[in-house]
Amino acid sequence: MSEHSKSEWKLLFPVAAMILFPVIRHFMGFGPIDSAFLIVAVPLLVFPAILILGQMYKGEDWWKNQLKEGGIVALAGLAITLSLTVWLIIEFLVNHAALSQYADAEGTFSQGVIFDWIQFEIFDGASLIGTSTLSFGLWIDSVSLTVLFVAAFLCFLICWFAIGYMTTDPVNEDRNHRFFAEFILFSMGMFGMVLADSFLWLFIFWEIMGLCSYLLIGFYWEKPSAAAAAKKAFLTTRVGDVFLMVGLFMLYDLYHSLEFAVIFADPTMGGAITGDQLQWPLLLMFIGCVGKSAQFPLHVWLPDAMEGPTPVSALIHAATMVNAGLYLVARMFPIFSAEAFHGDLSDIAMLIAWIGGITACMAAFIAFVANDIKRVLAYSTMSQLAYIFTGLGAACWFANEGFEEFAVIAFGAALFHLFNHAMAKGMLFMASGSVIHEMHHAHDHVHLYDSGDEHDFDPQDMRNMGGLASKMPITSTAMMLGSMSIIGIPLIGGFWSKEGIVGQAWNVYLHGGEMILFPALLVLATAGMTGFYMSRMWFMTFAGKAKSESAEHVHEDTQWIKTPLVVLSIVTALSGFILACGEFAHWLADPSHSHLLTDLFAHPVDAILHELEIAFLPHDNTLKIVGWTAILLSACLGPFIAARLHGGPLSEGEQATPMTAWLVNLSGKVGHTEVGELATGGFATALHNRLYIDDLYEWIISKTLMPFARICAWIDKNWIDGVIKGIESGSQSTSTWLRQFTTGRASDYLLMAAVGMLVIVGILWGVA
Amino acid sequence: MIEPSWIAGLGAFLFCIGLVGIFTRKNAIIVLMCIEIMLNAVNLNFVAGAAHYENIDGWVYTSIAIAIAAAEVAVGLAIFLALYSQRGTISLDEVTLLKH
Repeated sequence: MSEHSKSEWKLLFPVAAMILFPVIRHFMGFGPIDSAFLIVAVPLLVFPAILILGQMYKGEDWWKNQLKEGGIVALAGLAITLSLTVWLIIEFLVNHAALSQYADAEGTFSQGVIFDWIQFEIFDGASLIGTSTLSFGLWIDSVSLTVLFVAAFLCFLICWFAIGYMTTDPVNEDRNHRFFAEFILFSMGMFGMVLADSFLWLFIFWEIMGLCSYLLIGFYWEKPSAAAAAKKAFLTTRVGDVFLMVGLFMLYDLYHSLEFAVIFADPTMGGAITGDQLQWPLLLMFIGCVGKSAQFPLHVWLPDAMEGPTPVSALIHAATMVNAGLYLVARMFPIFSAEAFHGDLSDIAMLIAWIGGITACMAAFIAFVANDIKRVLAYSTMSQLAYIFTGLGAACWFANEGFEEFAVIAFGAALFHLFNHAMAKGMLFMASGSVIHEMHHAHDHVHLYDSGDEHDFDPQDMRNMGGLASKMPITSTAMMLGSMSIIGIPLIGGFWSKEGIVGQAWNVYLHGGEMILFPALLVLATAGMTGFYMSRMWFMTFAGKAKSESAEHVHEDTQWIKTPLVVLSIVTALSGFILACGEFAHWLADPSHSHLLTDLFAHPVDAILHELEIAFLPHDNTLKIVGWTAILLSACLGPFIAARLHGGPLSEGEQATPMTAWLVNLSGKVGHTEVGELATGGFATALHNRLYIDDLYEWIISKTLMPFARICAWIDKNWIDGVIKGIESGSQSTSTWLRQFTTGRASDYLLMAAVGMLVIVGILWGVA
Repeated sequence: MIEPSWIAGLGAFLFCIGLVGIFTRKNAIIVLMCIEIMLNAVNLNFVAGAAHYENIDGWVYTSIAIAIAAAEVAVGLAIFLALYSQRGTISLDEVTLLKH
């Protein structure tokens, strides 16, 4: 098998060659901003190519083994986009001034209009007022570049992972080209949404992602649960999308344009628009974000979306789709920060923070009792996205109330958390995919000669795992680092951003936003809860003794799965520290007044000490208390309880890797593996049933929508279909009657012709 | 000189004989003969009209019609021959391909 794996490295040569694409563009005389549209265009072209080639050549050796059923093609396309993205970022950072020919506003570049889409005339009554054009262009600033990099980098790695995960499963044979085609269309949707220069195009790409998420969650369409989950995801996000669309209509009604350049240049339109008028459009757009980013109360689709293949979970729930809602809120930020709206929009900002706080706590609670490894991660995603919403809410509140310096900190911290969370969660999902994949294979291996009654075995159930740390060294290390980043263990990944979010949420309270006290308390408590449920997942999976026969036969295999884990482990472990000390958060919010990483390279010690002081010893005493409470809760209390309940030493003779051995040993000291079903109380049952929110929706729908649907069905069946059926049966009986005249005898036809002739003559006679 | 209306009446009468023959007879050759009768009924009208109006056009049409009718009979009979060699009959009741 290893021989086989080794020869597969050769397949990556064409992918590696694609990295030269920017060089070719450069020598063709194009700049990075001129090439930026290719980030969208290349995946858009690769999508039909994979689909058509896959349909034509599926099953053939070169397609299946050389191109991995389209996986290599998709990976090559994503390599182009990733290299173009990096080129763009480098140009943005290094040659800031050279880009001034594209400068649109401070710190923002756009290529202007790439093509005009629709031109139309505006009438007032009957008189022509003017013409308007809906055009497509690119919008490049620090926020869009960051989200674009997250998307491009993770899409590339997840595609790499998917080649190993999807093509080794015989169930997927000869239909993986559909997976890869939809995957790359999905990536295209994300890239387009991030780069779009108007809310209209943002919405179009947003919907493309919605479609692809439906297709990918329902990839195993023959499974009823997967088909239902796909429908649920599509319809739930559709609820939010309708609100978003109405919000965009209202915005267009106010500004007569949806382009960022027009709206952000002067959000008041020369004083014509007041803050009160903007409350409704912003609220409706925020509901769209809630649906897309799976926040309460439109969160129900996300856990069910785990029915899709694991790379899809990694793609949707970490890299791209859930970030779309956050990105849209971040795009609304300039409206909040307009001075003319001072205080008018703070209620919306508070609502954003509240939704974030409620979701963070609720999702963390449900994650306490989830036993499916992917569902724990799904609820954790909801919870972490809610953190980001809280941070954005705080940022918008500060901006609207006129605290510019705090708004910048909160905004940067929220988007920094988006970056950290995406990297860690993408890796965690891939690591869980690795575990599931190997559990599945081990199960097939153990029960190879059984009669096959083992259908109740669930390779995703953590109660079947345990003790995997020795058998899956890379996966367990990756999972440990990812969990640490999500928990916010000091100095690793998400710590830097989460600390900022919690701190700024409390800072809002200190500056007169009393309403934020509730979400601020919730996110503080959630910090500890995150520590518990992430550690619980790790200990249940990797520590202790193997809890099923299959778990004893697990081993890591293909490089396709291991390589992305290694890459992301390094990124997760280091990027948080480097970027935090490199003023990443500040640069995100205000790129024209800060320089990413330059201070860190120039005065490393000063920069690091400065950042450590901000994180651990803020000047305000309340913030100091809050910060240390969060650290103690998340890094000590939560993991300790988890280790006590679910930890334990490995079996005799098993040895964990040095990276994780200390953690396993630590849990072996405090933990005891003989723990029965712990949570059996009423609250735990409610948590198992996801707090009955799904049931509540089902009940409401069955009482309101279903009767209405039945009435519609009755009308459709009896009235609309009745008309059509009447036409059909009428024409049928007419034709039966007419058929008796077709005797086939020529003389009969002649007689009819003669009679018809006479009739015509008679009519003409009458007319004359 | 005979009244033109009388000749037109004779033409109409002949035309009706031909028409009834086409509808009622089954033998293809008889039907062809009936068509010829109808054709000549029309020719009679042309000739009568030409004589009445002292205009040569009617004669010209008639001579062309006769020439074409001859050709048409030749083609028709050839078709009937081919039909007979293929089906063994020229009864129009048997030739009902149009129905199927």
